[in-house]
Amino acid sequence: MKIAEFKISRYKNIVLPLGGLIFLTFLASKSCKIDFSDFGEGIVNGTFFIAKMFPPDWAAFPEMLQPTFDTILLALLGTFFGTILSLFIAFFAAANLSNPWVRNITRSLISIERSIPELFILLILITAFGLGAVPAIIAIALGCVGMLGKLLADTIEDIPPTLMDSVASIGANKIQIIAFAVMPEIIPNLISYALFRFEVNIRLSVLLGAIGAGGIGYELENSFSLLEYHRAFSALIIVLVLVFSIERLSSFFRNKLKNAIVLK
Amino acid sequence: MIEVINISKTLPNGKKLLDNISFKVKKGEFVGILGASGAGKTLTLRSLNGLLKPDSGSVIFKNELGEKVNICTLSNKKLRKVRQKIGVIFQGYHLVQRLSVLENVMIGRLGSITTFRSIFYGFTDAEAHEAMGALEKVNMEHLANNKVSSLSGGEKQRVGIARAIFQKPNLLLADEPISNLDPKNAKLIMKLIKPLSEEIPVIGVFHQPEMTAKYCTRVIAIKEGKIIYDGKPNLSEDQLSEIYGEELSTLALQAK
Ligand SMILES: Nc1ncnc2c1ncn2[C@@H]1O[C@H](COP(=O)(O)OP(=O)(O)O)[C@@H](O)[C@H]1O
Ligand SMILES: [Mg+2]
Repeated sequence: MKIAEFKISRYKNIVLPLGGLIFLTFLASKSCKIDFSDFGEGIVNGTFFIAKMFPPDWAAFPEMLQPTFDTILLALLGTFFGTILSLFIAFFAAANLSNPWVRNITRSLISIERSIPELFILLILITAFGLGAVPAIIAIALGCVGMLGKLLADTIEDIPPTLMDSVASIGANKIQIIAFAVMPEIIPNLISYALFRFEVNIRLSVLLGAIGAGGIGYELENSFSLLEYHRAFSALIIVLVLVFSIERLSSFFRNKLKNAIVLK
Repeated sequence: MIEVINISKTLPNGKKLLDNISFKVKKGEFVGILGASGAGKTLTLRSLNGLLKPDSGSVIFKNELGEKVNICTLSNKKLRKVRQKIGVIFQGYHLVQRLSVLENVMIGRLGSITTFRSIFYGFTDAEAHEAMGALEKVNMEHLANNKVSSLSGGEKQRVGIARAIFQKPNLLLADEPISNLDPKNAKLIMKLIKPLSEEIPVIGVFHQPEMTAKYCTRVIAIKEGKIIYDGKPNLSEDQLSEIYGEELSTLALQAK
C-alpha cells in the first residue's frame, strides 16, 4: 500500500466515523437540551457528597447483616424458581421436544419477556400483591425466563439427534426422553446459566429492595432519604462487596463446570 | 419376522428418496444393506421402527403378543410398545455421555417400565444384574461404572450392543455400527452381532462389502432409493461398481 492510499484509508476508517459521532452527540445533546456546564457542577457536588458520607457508620454493619441475608435469599429463591420455570418452558421451546407451532409461539413469548424490564414486572405485581418479598421473588423468577428459557432451549436443541432418536427407539415416552437423554446432557449448562443469572439477580434484588421489597437495598434507600449519609455509606459498601463476591464466586464455579460442559 | 411392502417416500419437490422398497427378513438371517452415501439406507432402516413414516406401503412386524401390526400406521402409544421389541444400534453419538455404562444399558428397558419408576432411575437389583449379564456378553463388565464419555469408539458400540441385548428385542437394527472403527474393532463388533441373528432377524447398514460378505447371510443393495440387488452376500467387482459407482475407488482405498 502506498503512503497516500494509507492516509486515505485512515481518513475513511477513523476521521470520518469520529467526526460523524461527534456531530451526532452534538445533535442529541441539543435535542435533549443538555447543558454541558451542568456536568462540572455535578462532579463538584458528587465529590462533596461522597466526602460527606465518609466515614461509614461502623455500628450499622451488624444491624445490616439480616437485611443483607434477606437480599441474598430473595435472589436465591427467585433464581431457583426462575430456573425451574425456565427449564419447563424450554422443553416447549426446543424443536426436538416440541412441535413447530408450540415451539415458535413459546420462543416468541420468551423474547417478549426478555424485552420487559424486571422493574416493570415488579410494579405490576405490587399492584396485585402489595409490597413485599413475594412479589419480588416472583418478579425475579419471571425475569429469568427471557434469558434462561432461551439459553436452555438452545442447549436442548444442540443435543445430537442420534441420541434423541436412540432413546426414542427404545420406546421411551417424552418424559423418559427428558429424564434420560435431555437432563444428563444439559445439567452442567443448566447450573452454569443459573449461576450467571444469580449474579444478575443479586443486583436486581438490591434494586427491588430499594423500591419496597426490603433487604439491603431498602436500607440504602432509607438511609439516604433520612439523610443518614454515614449509614448509607455502610450499606453501599455492603452492596459493593456483596455484588463483587457473588460474581467472583459464581465465576469460580462456572469455570469449574466448563470441563464438564465441553466433555463430548 | 419383519416384512417391508412397497414403501416409498417422496420429497415435496418430487425427489424420490425411497422407491417401492420391499423385502422380508426372518430369524436366522443377518441382512447387510449396502449402498453409496445418500442412497436411502438410513431412511429404509428408520422406517422399520417408525422413526420415518413412508408416504405409502407398509412395514409388518409381529408384536409381543404375536399379532401382526403395521408400523407405518400405529398410534404413538402403540408404536412405543412395538419399539420396546426393536433394538437399534446407531453410528456415533447415541449413548448418554454423562451416565455410566451400566445406566446406559438399563435405558434399554425404559419402554417397559413405568414413567414414575424411570424418572427416579428406579431400576431393580434384578434388572441391574441382568444388565451386568448383557455387559459380560460384550466383555465390558469391568467398565460398568465408568462414564460413557470416557470410552473409545469400539467400547461405545459394545455398550450399544449390550443395551440392545438387555432390551430383549424381536428384531435388531444397526445403522453403520462399524463405520468409525478400526478393522480390529469392526471385526469384534461383527462377531458380537452375528450370533444374535440366530434368535432374531438382524438388519444392518454397512459400508464395507468385505465385512458383509464375511458375516452376513444376505445382502440388499440400494441405489437412489431402489433395491437393485437382494441375494447372496458375495458380490462381484461388477456388482460392486454398479452399487457404488464413483465411490468404489475410495471404498477400495479404505479397505486396504
Ligand atoms: N429429513 C430429510 N429431508 C430431506 N431429505 C432427506 C432427509 N433425510 C434424508 N434425506 C435425503 O435422503 C437421501 C437418503 O438419505 P439416507 O437414507 O440418510 O442415505 P444413506 O444411504 O447414506 O443412509 C439423501 O439424499 C438425503 O439427502
Ligand atoms: Mg446413513
